[in-house]
Amino acid sequence: METLFRSPSVDFHAFAPEIVLVLVLVVLLFVDLVFEERGRWATSTVAGIGLLASLVPVLTLAVAGGDRSLFDGAYVVDDFALVLKGLFLVAGYVTVLISTDYVAEGDYYEGEYYFLLLSSLLGMTVMASARDLISIFVALELLSIPAYLLAGWRKRDLRGNEASLKYYLLGVFASAVMLYGMSLVFGVTGSTVLSEIGDALAGGSSTVPVVTVGIVFVVVGFGFKVSAVPFHTWAPDTYQGAPTPITAFLSVASKAAGFVALLQLVFIAFLGQDDVWAPLFWVLAALTMTVGNLIALRQTNIVRLLAYSSVAQAGFMLAPLAVAASIPAERGGIANATEAVVTYLIIYAAMNLGAFAVVMAVARKTRSGEIGSYGGLFDYAPGLAVLMAVFLFALAGIPPLGGWYAKFVVFKSLLDAGTGAAVALAVVAAVNSVIALFYYASVARQMFMDPVPDGDTTRVQVPAALTASLALCAVATVAFGFFPNLAARLGDVALFGALP
Amino acid sequence: MAAQNLVFAVLAVVAVLAALRVVTTRNVVHAALYLVAVLGSVGALYVLLAAEFLAAVQVLIYIGAIVVLFLFGIMLTRPTLGRESGLDNDQRWLAGITGLFLFGVLSYVLVEAFGDERLPRLEGLDREALTAERGTGAVGDAIFSTYLVPFEVVSVLLLAALVGAIVLARRE
Repeated sequence: METLFRSPSVDFHAFAPEIVLVLVLVVLLFVDLVFEERGRWATSTVAGIGLLASLVPVLTLAVAGGDRSLFDGAYVVDDFALVLKGLFLVAGYVTVLISTDYVAEGDYYEGEYYFLLLSSLLGMTVMASARDLISIFVALELLSIPAYLLAGWRKRDLRGNEASLKYYLLGVFASAVMLYGMSLVFGVTGSTVLSEIGDALAGGSSTVPVVTVGIVFVVVGFGFKVSAVPFHTWAPDTYQGAPTPITAFLSVASKAAGFVALLQLVFIAFLGQDDVWAPLFWVLAALTMTVGNLIALRQTNIVRLLAYSSVAQAGFMLAPLAVAASIPAERGGIANATEAVVTYLIIYAAMNLGAFAVVMAVARKTRSGEIGSYGGLFDYAPGLAVLMAVFLFALAGIPPLGGWYAKFVVFKSLLDAGTGAAVALAVVAAVNSVIALFYYASVARQMFMDPVPDGDTTRVQVPAALTASLALCAVATVAFGFFPNLAARLGDVALFGALP
Repeated sequence: MAAQNLVFAVLAVVAVLAALRVVTTRNVVHAALYLVAVLGSVGALYVLLAAEFLAAVQVLIYIGAIVVLFLFGIMLTRPTLGRESGLDNDQRWLAGITGLFLFGVLSYVLVEAFGDERLPRLEGLDREALTAERGTGAVGDAIFSTYLVPFEVVSVLLLAALVGAIVLARRE
């Protein structure tokens, strides 16, 4: 019997951001191929404009409104997906801005650099819409594999090789663990679509050990991606050895992509299984905050400091996940936790990218990543010193800079949950906020109080692209702090298909 | 049914023993060749499950491409081929204990969850309907309809991996 193949109907508007990105990828390859050396400067321009162009369909989709569910719910374009696609693309644009001069001056492959950066971003935009185990896995690989390569972009540098190799080996191992977990979940539920998995699991008894193991494996796999303790061991070495723009990209966009996948999996597929994941996230969140902060205290290299600080920040983002199931419905339920994580991701992106942009600007003069080299920065580069202070205090959560609102939404969702465990986690988070302030402030003290270490007070030349990225991040960080409604409006997104 | 069980038992034993040799042999080339045995037995298990497309892909890609790539990689990077020391490290006992623990946990949960499941007997099955539903044709239809997005994304993934591999391998 001949079965006729019916081609699926595809809503091209829903795929427009990804289609534009793929076109930009092709253009990048052609510019590199046709113009060769003469076109080197053009590649970063093409990448930057291309990323802005792919933001246009995200905006038109947002204006058009409505949830679009394609392929039987395997691919969904809802507010959640659109806000995160926007975040990834803007973070990618800032990464291109901070990369422009670094890559051009460093004698690296340029066309390929931007090609891989944009491939990784394509994986992230797909991840924001993927509501199916296979799509999530493929999107994860597409965003990770270019990142493994970019981490080792400084081919002749031993630290660069170490960064890439560690990231690759641990990343692949995490993927394997996660895939095994996914196969167990599929084996029990017989479906790869998240909403169907959610229905199937809700129907059966929730204590089947195989489901527990499946969920734990999946969460552990993404724990590597978001560098949660004890799966964070790759982060400091990779962050230090990778080119600094890629470090910024990994610590913001790649981490955000991991959280996006976690939110989708936990709140759609595993929602009824909170007795499995709630304690797991509680332990991960508490460990991640505490260990990240305690090790950050002892760092002498600014990039390693920011690496451990980003580990600690991930702990804050994990906290709402730990209590999501116990937030009562009249206070928003899981939507409350989703909002907390998404808002935190958006504000964290602005302040962390900004901090890395300052590190890059300062490194252009000092050629060093040691915190000691920041001594007296205020004397010869007052603008950079003030900006760095803004980003660091924002990361610490001092009002009126953006970070306070990020911390506020996390504490709000912890206290809304109101259970003993949630309050205990809030106490851990509060103690950690104080510890974090200590090391952020010690960098600020170096910049404003200490003398210049080598007495060299020539001004720092900041190229135009880097200035633009600094301005973007600074405006966003300050604006989110003074007008938290802005961040709240962006963060208030519900996951389509998640139960209320 | 007994024949199938027998074939399964043989394949499973071959796969497990070969897998053990992959990690215990002192010769890297032998490890790669034992890997062929592991992957081949798994491919045969797919045939046993009537997943002939998966079996063909397993042989073509894993044995045909990946192991051959391993062998080329070993040949091009090792000065001498043969027995080597330094393939082990001090953590092997810890790794062994972790492995055994994981094996115990996974065996328990799998038996607990699927121990009572039985494959349907062949006599009662409508083979044509099964082929239409699960055969190679059905896999093709699914890739180009239900799983169109991952399929297209994989094509970009392979392109990115290709570009990255060239950058890594190119002499400056």
